[in-house]
Amino acid sequence: MSIFGLKERSSRIYFYFRHLQNQFGRFMFMYIVKIFVKCGTIHNRTAYGGMALNDSKWTWRTVSLISIVTTIILIVGLVYAVRDIIYPVGEASETNLPQQTATPTTETVKKLKVVALGDSLAKGTGDNTGEGFVKRTVSGLSAKGVEVDLLGNMGINALTTAGLLSKLDEDGVDYALHMANVILLSIGGNDLFKDSNILQNSGALQSESTTDQELTPESLLAALPEAAGRLGKILEKISEINPNAQIYYMGLYNPFGDIPDLLAPGNQAVAKWNNAAMDIINKHSNMTLVPTFDLFNKHLDKYLSTDHFHPNGDGYQRIGERFIQAIH
Amino acid sequence: MNNMLPLIRNECLKIIKKKRFYVILLILIVLVPMFTYAQMRSAERSRDKFNSDWRLEIQQQIIDNQNSLGSDRIPEEWKTYRRIFVQQLQYYLHHDVNPNEPSGVTFTREFMDNSVTLFIPLLIMAVASDLVSAERTTGTIKMLLTRPVKRWKVLFSKMAALLMFVSLIVLSTFVISYLISGLAFGYKGFNIPVFTGFKISGDSVDMSTVHAVPQWKYMLMQGGLVWFVSVIVALLAFMISVLVRSTAASIVVMMAALIAGSILTNMASAWTTAKYLFMVNLGLTGYLSGTPAPIEGMSLSFSMAVLAVWGAASVIISFAVFTKRDILN
Amino acid sequence: MTKANSGESSPVVLSVDGVRKKIGRKWIIDDVTFDVREGEIFGFLGPNGAGKTTTIRMLVDLIRPSEGKITVCGYNVNRNPEKALQFVGSIVENPEVYTYLTGWENLQHFARMQPGIDNARISEVVDIVRLDQRIHDKVSTYSLGMRQRLGIAQALLGRPRLLILDEPTNGLDPKGIKELREFIRKLADEGLAVFVSSHLLSEIQLLCDRVAIISKGRVLAVGAVDELIARNSPYVLWELEPFAEAQALLAGRPDIQIQNLEDVNLDDSIIAGMGPDSLITIMDQDLIPEIVAVMVTAEIEVRAVHKINPTLEQLFLKLTEGENVE
Repeated sequence: MSIFGLKERSSRIYFYFRHLQNQFGRFMFMYIVKIFVKCGTIHNRTAYGGMALNDSKWTWRTVSLISIVTTIILIVGLVYAVRDIIYPVGEASETNLPQQTATPTTETVKKLKVVALGDSLAKGTGDNTGEGFVKRTVSGLSAKGVEVDLLGNMGINALTTAGLLSKLDEDGVDYALHMANVILLSIGGNDLFKDSNILQNSGALQSESTTDQELTPESLLAALPEAAGRLGKILEKISEINPNAQIYYMGLYNPFGDIPDLLAPGNQAVAKWNNAAMDIINKHSNMTLVPTFDLFNKHLDKYLSTDHFHPNGDGYQRIGERFIQAIH
Repeated sequence: MNNMLPLIRNECLKIIKKKRFYVILLILIVLVPMFTYAQMRSAERSRDKFNSDWRLEIQQQIIDNQNSLGSDRIPEEWKTYRRIFVQQLQYYLHHDVNPNEPSGVTFTREFMDNSVTLFIPLLIMAVASDLVSAERTTGTIKMLLTRPVKRWKVLFSKMAALLMFVSLIVLSTFVISYLISGLAFGYKGFNIPVFTGFKISGDSVDMSTVHAVPQWKYMLMQGGLVWFVSVIVALLAFMISVLVRSTAASIVVMMAALIAGSILTNMASAWTTAKYLFMVNLGLTGYLSGTPAPIEGMSLSFSMAVLAVWGAASVIISFAVFTKRDILN
Repeated sequence: MTKANSGESSPVVLSVDGVRKKIGRKWIIDDVTFDVREGEIFGFLGPNGAGKTTTIRMLVDLIRPSEGKITVCGYNVNRNPEKALQFVGSIVENPEVYTYLTGWENLQHFARMQPGIDNARISEVVDIVRLDQRIHDKVSTYSLGMRQRLGIAQALLGRPRLLILDEPTNGLDPKGIKELREFIRKLADEGLAVFVSSHLLSEIQLLCDRVAIISKGRVLAVGAVDELIARNSPYVLWELEPFAEAQALLAGRPDIQIQNLEDVNLDDSIIAGMGPDSLITIMDQDLIPEIVAVMVTAEIEVRAVHKINPTLEQLFLKLTEGENVE
């Protein structure tokens, strides 16, 4: 935390509070003492006038003094607050505040620090246990005796490549990626099957694009080149943010294999996408493609959840196993 | 004014001797440790989960909120609220400031934010609700009003004493929650920066006016707002205690109003005229922390104006009724 | 309306002139007029619900009269309470003081409400009501009698010229009542005007110089106690043997009226002490020796002759025509 040059002032306030507390404590203490003393002098006739009068005078003076001082302070606070809220003065906060100084250190290579990034698959949508492949991967790794920490899961339902690309600019994401040495990425499914959003019950962040367009081979392929380009940018940006981290990209599977009309075009589109991803990933030593196409092909009924789009728990388990194999 | 002071002194002494103020202190001393403990446990838990890295925790919070934005089951008002919340969290992250830096001061600040609409008003009611009605139930009002003092002066002295105790209650809430939570979180943290000045329009936040203030100054401003709310609540409770003969009835009336207020606030209703009710305007500190107002069209000046009108009306009614009414029993 | 002729020369302290009060649609108080003078004890007598308390509350500005005027030492109580009430010490109904304060704190509290009362004065009134032993105890530990005395101390604090006591003997034991009576008399002798309300006729009779009788919101009579009593002749109670002859003898005289026991309101203690063959008559008491002589010559045994002085009760019953009196 930074030093504001307010230390002196704040400590004065602090002492002021302590002072008030002292006053208050003394007042309470004396009051109790006086009650005891008074109990002892009840039958002492000469006591009245002296004792009782002083007691009430003392109480009154303390109470009125504290309350008046407090009231004045609080009114000053009120004036400040009203002024501050109604006429807020934005500071050039960049200069006043410390910039992100946290430089991530990869001191111990042994311990794996995992961050997951991407869409609903990274989040684990469809898994009744809520774990998804990310948690299953992490727990599988630690079961194997690997020291592993999950720093965070930044999967957001219905995220597309475009959405993720802008997300990478966010400070928190940037920071988390800095801190990680293993980055699990799942993205692209929503670009490819964006009109299939209708099938999943979660509204999309960018759901304006929802049209009643037919899901055809042409429409599936139309979005591909652009999205693939963005995937490349994403991967490069991640490795730019943290060159030391290993990136594991989850390949796509075809969720529409059980719809005869969509089997062939779906397979085709997914294959093309995976190939495009492979092209990019192969150029970088710190990236790995984790294929999932074969895990689901022909087993959709077993491994997809009720929405016919996301994997179920078993499906995620299979994906997780793949990831474990790739990482360890 | 010369003969006013002894009257105020009388009323203050009566409040003290009735032990109402001690009850309030006792409530604080019992409850604050509970809140502190709960807060400590939740802090411990998140520390375990996020390796005591608050940035990761905040980021996860952002992601969780963004995910809920996607759900159709969540009402649009809540989404607005969460969108604003996400933007604020991102702002804190961007400036590398932990909004929940664990310290006694932060705890106190958050405690005050949470207690301004219900808890502090309740404490105020403990003093205000029977200020006049108790004199009527016990019959001492006859003694009070047969002295050669004009009735408005008697009432004024009661009101003045009440306002003195309002300040004392606000102060004690601050002091007690600071002292007790400090045991758990440490007494430092007066100069932690806190952001304020979030200008909320629709569901986005204008960050151009956001600025950092040291926490002590933030708490000073917060204290002022809490005080303002408390004064209005005190005046309202005071009026009810003038109007209603039984103390129990006067407490019930005020409680019902306050609880209705917190329900209405949570419903964030489409019933926009509800914003003219005093109870939904009690969360003044929200304007400081940048919490969106429960009903559209509310702003600090609006809320303060509404509260001031209610307060002024209750003062006028209190005096009009008290000075005119026959004391029949 | 009978005007009092006693103490005509002393100045009027309290003057109630044509006061009426309407609550809702009902005239609770309908024309109350009387004066209270310096140094006199003025009784205000009426059954419960007659409007005594309402009237007293109007005297001390707790209730505003709808019509009429109340002045204390020349100041209108309702228009100028700050002046008028300076001269008044009062206990309205029960002496309600703050039970969570000590007696001393209570007195200090009321002392602060008017100028010129110092601690010496508080000690003085504490001594007057003899509460000095317990004055620093919480009032919640006081007996009713002690609270009553504290109430009086409170009323006396401001050196009033008019003391208003509403049912002052409520809750007091006979000894306390006697003490209070003597105390009030002493205060009046020092020049204080004392206004005492009561539904106990005997109490007023024993205590007061003058009295106003109120019923259903109207003052039925105002006058010196003696004067009002003199309007009624006393009862004479006879125990004679043989009864029948005696009854015939008494009935034969035109100046003696024999009363039925049911028609006569007497104290229970007197009725209980009466033998079975008792006769109650109304007659001039100067006739008693003569009647006794007649009885003796008629060989009627006179076992007892008992004169029962006329009471306000009789007068009151006459005025209110049998309204219930507790």
